Amino acid sequence: MSDSKLCKPWEHKISRRQMLGHVAGTSAGAMGLGALGGLVHPAVAEEIKKKDKQVLFVWIDGGMSQLESWDPKPTTQFGGPFRAIPTSVSGIHISELLPKTAQQMHHLAIVRSLCTKDNSHSAGVARIQRGDPKNRGVTYPYFGSAVAKLMGPGKSNLPPYIWIKPGSGGFMFKDAGFLGPKYGALAFGDGKPPENLTLHESLTEVEDDQRNALREKANRRYARRRRKQSSEANSYVYDMARTLMKREDLFDTTTFDPKDIERYGTHEFGRHMLQARKMLEAGVRFVKVNSYGWDTHGDNFNGHRSLMPRYDQAFAAMIEDLAESGMLEHVLVVSLSEFGRTPRINGHVGRDHWPEAWSTVMAGCGIKRGVVVGKTNAKGTFVDSDEHDIGNMFHTWFKALDIDPFTVEYDNSGQPLPIAHDEMFAIEELVG
Amino acid sequence: MNEDTKTLLSLYEPKEQKVIKNDRQLFGAYFSPCGRFLVSGDYEARIRRWDISLGTPQELTALEGHNGWPQAMAFHPTDHSLLFTADSWGQIRCWPFDQENPQANWTIENAHDGWVRMLAVSPDGKLLASCGYDKMVCLWSTTDGKKLAEFSDHGEDVFCVAFHLDGKSLVSGDMKGKVKQWDLAQRKCIREFDASILFTEHRLQEVGGVRCFAFSPDGKTLAVGGTKPKNGGNVQGDPTILLFDWKTGKEQKSLTLGKSGDVYVYDIQFHPDGFMIVAISGGPGIGKFLYQRPEDEEPFFITTKMSNCHSVSLHPDGYRIAVTATNRGSNGNGRRLDKDGEYLGNTSPVHLFELPKPLGYPASPPPLPENKTS
Repeated sequence: MSDSKLCKPWEHKISRRQMLGHVAGTSAGAMGLGALGGLVHPAVAEEIKKKDKQVLFVWIDGGMSQLESWDPKPTTQFGGPFRAIPTSVSGIHISELLPKTAQQMHHLAIVRSLCTKDNSHSAGVARIQRGDPKNRGVTYPYFGSAVAKLMGPGKSNLPPYIWIKPGSGGFMFKDAGFLGPKYGALAFGDGKPPENLTLHESLTEVEDDQRNALREKANRRYARRRRKQSSEANSYVYDMARTLMKREDLFDTTTFDPKDIERYGTHEFGRHMLQARKMLEAGVRFVKVNSYGWDTHGDNFNGHRSLMPRYDQAFAAMIEDLAESGMLEHVLVVSLSEFGRTPRINGHVGRDHWPEAWSTVMAGCGIKRGVVVGKTNAKGTFVDSDEHDIGNMFHTWFKALDIDPFTVEYDNSGQPLPIAHDEMFAIEELVG
Repeated sequence: MNEDTKTLLSLYEPKEQKVIKNDRQLFGAYFSPCGRFLVSGDYEARIRRWDISLGTPQELTALEGHNGWPQAMAFHPTDHSLLFTADSWGQIRCWPFDQENPQANWTIENAHDGWVRMLAVSPDGKLLASCGYDKMVCLWSTTDGKKLAEFSDHGEDVFCVAFHLDGKSLVSGDMKGKVKQWDLAQRKCIREFDASILFTEHRLQEVGGVRCFAFSPDGKTLAVGGTKPKNGGNVQGDPTILLFDWKTGKEQKSLTLGKSGDVYVYDIQFHPDGFMIVAISGGPGIGKFLYQRPEDEEPFFITTKMSNCHSVSLHPDGYRIAVTATNRGSNGNGRRLDKDGEYLGNTSPVHLFELPKPLGYPASPPPLPENKTS
């Protein structure tokens, strides 16, 4: 019998089948399917929306090397040049390239036993960010869209899924999958506000309200002959824009303490993480920050030698600030890539893609602190404990957000769909 | 092919004689000054040695005691029994490496904070120079490892050091393409060379750096090797050698030795007759071993048959070259297991070449210079 730490189905008080049977037999359930955002149990949906929990999702695009970060194997065949250093938690060591984060280890949980299926960027990025659920012929939402749908914008009424990214911004509706474009990501390119955010000087606020009333009248007429999802998305974008116009302060970087700018770093990732903190402080439900350029097939060690310290600087500063302010109690922080990197070092002194055994790190919202879950073998080639797929992580994160994947489902135009892979479970060592 | 090239090839064209296979990846195999040994650090913290004085190279006991990557290595120029090695955890050692089971003469545990990138020994054999990830350049006594000086001016990861042939200067090169000349009497930086074309920032990454140095046999030219980088991640760039006039400090020439997939000039050694022997390594499977005269635009010899050439070493007799490469098929996403289900690592075959010998050259090599202790 397995001594796995994963939660077992019988530990849950009510099964999905029981819940479906109950809801189907009541008129309240029938109303709930359509009326309250397309979640199966209306009371549960309302409770979720009341939560003030938030998410910071740090996406390291290209594949951070677990051997040069969270799971070093120094002086082994594939270990590379870098040392492992002690952290603020006795017995836990991480790469010397993360000296500042090492001092925050007592807030963090590392999972070293990720074993996922896809070793390509093109498919892997989406599969990981969608939680890779069972294939039911629909396009699942990214984690940010899922949280936006399940938890709504919260008291701030700010856009619930914001993405601070290098390059250009825009509205990333594809993230939302079958949920509909309304739940896509509002991306700010280089953290800058959308163009024309400031009300034109020729317009007064009264005039702006009047033209908005005209717009809403036109929208209602438009909506009568359109799919609800399309008209909702169209209207939502304008509503979001008006909300942001009243919050230009979110983009004002001149108000940052110079000490914070120095602590987070003046490089792109540092600036974006500091802005993410501002967004979280303002109450944004889900903030994604990403960094590109981590696909180190060539010159991996010199690459990580400059990439990791910049990541370390900003990530450690964020954890420290969230912990000190008490926000870590209700902000879930996740740092993730689409896969890890091969132990084998190629002729270009690089590492290739490796979904077989890699790592992720998380903190906050009750996630156990100062722990390492799972392990790899001595050479770091394969997992040497229970393997965990991304579905396990989604279950864990939803549970940390007080969303029970076994009692909450999506309603896709009448098709109930689980919010995470229905054959996986939360990792008890993290949220038990 | 013009007459000039034909003449050059008749004198210098290398022919591969044998390949030394081994079970790990190596940093670069170099001939000892006595000519009897080939030595290289490997990716698993060992110093590997081969006795090549017999017909078939014989591997000797590996030297143990380092950690991480013992990438940096330098032979004593006059005491041919001594080898200096350094690793990526900051340790430097001095070995009587020609013994059967040598123990280190001296060890400096924390010579640098982390990765020691390169070592060099002064022509008179008295000074050992080191440089590294901790942004420091240091000078040590070769006799006992005592620290004699340290220079922190670079402010960047320092990749390379080399002594000028006159023994009066040391040069060091860093990640951002700054090359500094240190006056050894005054113990200070007296000049800088601009190799910043060998560096770029791409997204969050610093890419490139000064990867190798070589002085011409007359000491009048400094060759600086690296890449003109195009992007980070899967690094791409044009392999490049910058030639600086030592007297004026000015850049005389920039040699581009390939396309963006060819990436790095990893190693340069000057032949006594004035041309450069060059190792180039790019994307997995891409490697070049070539000869280039400084005054020419194109190499007069080039072979791309080896994957990922990381080092070149000219034997002291002048008629043999060792090129360290990487096995074919070294890359690939996902798992690749051998027939026993074990995860496969890569290896570094060492290719041994012979150059043409003049008529009347003895069948057995002439005796090499006497081993002079300092």
